[in-house]
Amino acid sequence: MMFGTMPQLTPDLIYGVAGIAVFAIGLVGALCTQDRLRRVLALKLCSVGAGFLLVVAAWRGPPAAPDPVPHALVITGIVVMVSATAVALALIRRLQTLETEDDT
Amino acid sequence: MTDPVIIFDLLLAAAVVALAVASLSVRDLFVAIVLFITFGLLSALSWVRLAAPDVALAEAAIGTGVTGALLLKTLRHLRYVSGTLDRAEALSVTPAAPVPAPVIWANAAFCGLVTLGLAVAFLGAPRSGPGFDALVAEAMPASGVDHPVTAVLLNFRAYDTLMEVVVLLAAVIAVWQIERGLSDAPAPVLGAVWEGFARLTLPAIVVVGTYLLWKGAEAPGGAFQGGAVLAAVGLLLLLSRLYVPQPSHRGVARWAFVLGTGAFAGVALLVAGGGRVAFEYPPEHAKTLILLIEGLVTISIAVTLAALFHGREPVALRSDRGRA
Amino acid sequence: MTLDPMILALFAPLFGAVAAFVLPRAAGAVGLVAVLLTCGAVLALARQVLAAGAVTLELGGWAPPMGIALRADGLGVAMLAMTAAVGLLVSVGALDALREARQRQYFWPLWLLLLTGMNGVYLGTDIFNLYVMIEVIALAAVGLTVLSGTREAVRAGLEYMYASILGALLFLMGVGFVYLQLGRLDFAGLIAAEPSAALSAALALMIVGLLLKTALFPLHFWLPAAHANATAPASALLSGLVVKAALYIFLRLTTHVPLPDEILVTLIGALGAGAVLWGGVQALRAERLKLLVAWSTVVQIGLIFIAFARAGQVGLAESWKAAALLILAHGVAKAAMFLAAGRIRDEVGHDIIRDLDRAPIRPTLAQFTFALAAISLIGLPPSLGFIGKWSLMEGAMAAGYWHWVAVTMIGTLLSVAYFSRVLAGFLRFDRVRAPLGEHQGWALADIAPLTLAISAISLGLLAAPILSFIELGYPFGAKP
Repeated sequence: MMFGTMPQLTPDLIYGVAGIAVFAIGLVGALCTQDRLRRVLALKLCSVGAGFLLVVAAWRGPPAAPDPVPHALVITGIVVMVSATAVALALIRRLQTLETEDDT
Repeated sequence: MTDPVIIFDLLLAAAVVALAVASLSVRDLFVAIVLFITFGLLSALSWVRLAAPDVALAEAAIGTGVTGALLLKTLRHLRYVSGTLDRAEALSVTPAAPVPAPVIWANAAFCGLVTLGLAVAFLGAPRSGPGFDALVAEAMPASGVDHPVTAVLLNFRAYDTLMEVVVLLAAVIAVWQIERGLSDAPAPVLGAVWEGFARLTLPAIVVVGTYLLWKGAEAPGGAFQGGAVLAAVGLLLLLSRLYVPQPSHRGVARWAFVLGTGAFAGVALLVAGGGRVAFEYPPEHAKTLILLIEGLVTISIAVTLAALFHGREPVALRSDRGRA
Repeated sequence: MTLDPMILALFAPLFGAVAAFVLPRAAGAVGLVAVLLTCGAVLALARQVLAAGAVTLELGGWAPPMGIALRADGLGVAMLAMTAAVGLLVSVGALDALREARQRQYFWPLWLLLLTGMNGVYLGTDIFNLYVMIEVIALAAVGLTVLSGTREAVRAGLEYMYASILGALLFLMGVGFVYLQLGRLDFAGLIAAEPSAALSAALALMIVGLLLKTALFPLHFWLPAAHANATAPASALLSGLVVKAALYIFLRLTTHVPLPDEILVTLIGALGAGAVLWGGVQALRAERLKLLVAWSTVVQIGLIFIAFARAGQVGLAESWKAAALLILAHGVAKAAMFLAAGRIRDEVGHDIIRDLDRAPIRPTLAQFTFALAAISLIGLPPSLGFIGKWSLMEGAMAAGYWHWVAVTMIGTLLSVAYFSRVLAGFLRFDRVRAPLGEHQGWALADIAPLTLAISAISLGLLAAPILSFIELGYPFGAKP
């Protein structure tokens, strides 16, 4: 692909750019937000962005079937991310409880 | 530019990006989480457009459903602890300290740099380049299942999948370690209407979950999607108070958490021998073994996800209060 | 059923974790058996590698790139051996150091899962698999960080979690780009790849993620609090072992796909220099003993990256050996030091550095251990740390990069200064108001850190065999 020429719009290009945008938004959120819960949300956005990239990379353009390996990888990534989210949220809840107890 | 569906793709992609921005910038956290759930569902829809129904199912069920439930539960806990449960005001749960300007600039520069790298890498990469397509197609007949994604997850790259189940186990152990005791926050309860709905739908959800698992062998679906749907049963049971975790249930719960990991790893070890290595299922038994692993892993995933939602080890509160 | 030592090294800790979790009362015994089995597996693997060079195992019988292969070579086995040996001694120390039943109950499954993840990293050859492995490590490590349950520990654990997730996601994004570019994810594919801008960008993403996980300055912000507030055995594992996993992946990646530019190598070295200087100053200012030790980890990580960059791009083919030596030396010495710091704190009742010389109780054995570990970390002969630092400077001098030599020298002086703050307190008795206690503060729990510290010193004498061992099997696929 050349810069400057108008690229042919295909789903993989559209969603690929969208995925990168989502990842970048998540990155900004993760680094620049103060709120603890919102940072978890931002990290989850990053992981969806990475998922977009892999799903786009697996796409082959009909009628060809997509490559199943990246699909499996994304499913793994989703499960890994929900585990990490659950731990982060448990830490947030515990921390809030501890901080409130100390204040009173 | 011949395909009219491209317009739909453009709109969908724009909506996904807009929702991502909105969910991070809206003031009220509750609204943010709802926007995030919408974002997740639309992402799943985009992945259907990209011919990835398995991924879309997993994202909708686990990435959006379970994650959304976890976020909402946490928000409720935070509001309860900070005493803002009844007020509808926007909640800032974290005491915000001002960030020094150089740090903000450094972060912004870092984000910009990374995004630039991403753009360069994406636009410079070949469209629909090489992949595993041919290799997978060649190996499919020996895999024991008909659906390529399931074959990859449970056979070709079973090692990855085992470790993914291990991650889930590590998460539930860590969560139990972090929080314990019976929650003194009032559990979010369903209204009467929803409770009736829950009782009616529970059997249906069980059927759907089991079907998803069974179908995984030849069509989109499988252990993770099925497990997540079954976890929804657990969530509803917890929410409708049909099931309240008790300290005496911990033993069974521990076994349920490790069931998937144990069975997966056990089968991987037991098939080794006679010239075969670990994870090498004998072709004639491959389908049976894969279904066995999937079934047990599904149970583990469902129980683990529900436990992650419950979020704490159910022990009698005694030493906990004084120690904190 | 035939059991390959590589499989045993992965599955022994995994089944150990499962058993320790479902049998909480027997967790300690189960854990110790699992770690011993892992040590046995690593020994068997080391013998195989000594006899035959690198060994490979294609899991499930599926060949890469579609399947996943395990590969053990000299460097990988050296890391496995360091992990298993340090892990065994920390485990022995943990039997005594963890007093609360609840801490014991959760320490073992989390630590064994951590061990599974680290062994998986050292045997892995597939970058997506490495992503999953670093997540296993991250979750278990965060669990260990917050084991003490204090507010500071939970806060540090949350920061660690954020950094860890972000690092892993940057890595995953890089993995996605590698797939987009090459259509495969195994190391062999990376080695064979034609260098291109897109591939470099992918690699850069992965490297940034790894640097965040291994806490190279200025991405170290999460480390001091996390390592200083964990319980002593957890700190020893986190500081001695966990940061090394990401570091190891970094070494592998940068040698499979060499950094495209001299400037990048210099930049990484400069970040290392920043870590040495900034970490050194912070260690001088630290008020608590464990915080000082944690800042010294930041310094040592920086030093390892200086070793990596010591001779620029052309020297990369040799520089990894200096980095590897420093990794091994730091792992052993830092685990000893954290355990000793924990012992001192247990006996004295606090770990405020300024007041250590006022304590009537002198845990002399733990203090001696601390001093021995400091000798290796400062880099005095004949310790392994000395050999590592020496080979760093030798390479830098041979290549004419005197600035790295200068930074290393300054770092050494700084480390002498901040460790002296502690050691001086051990040796002063004139400020004790109360009569010195009869109790010498010796306990069985001193044996593990002391053994580690003595190994850190004496392994220096075995530097030549270690060096020739890590070269076995051409760790980076490049046959001479």
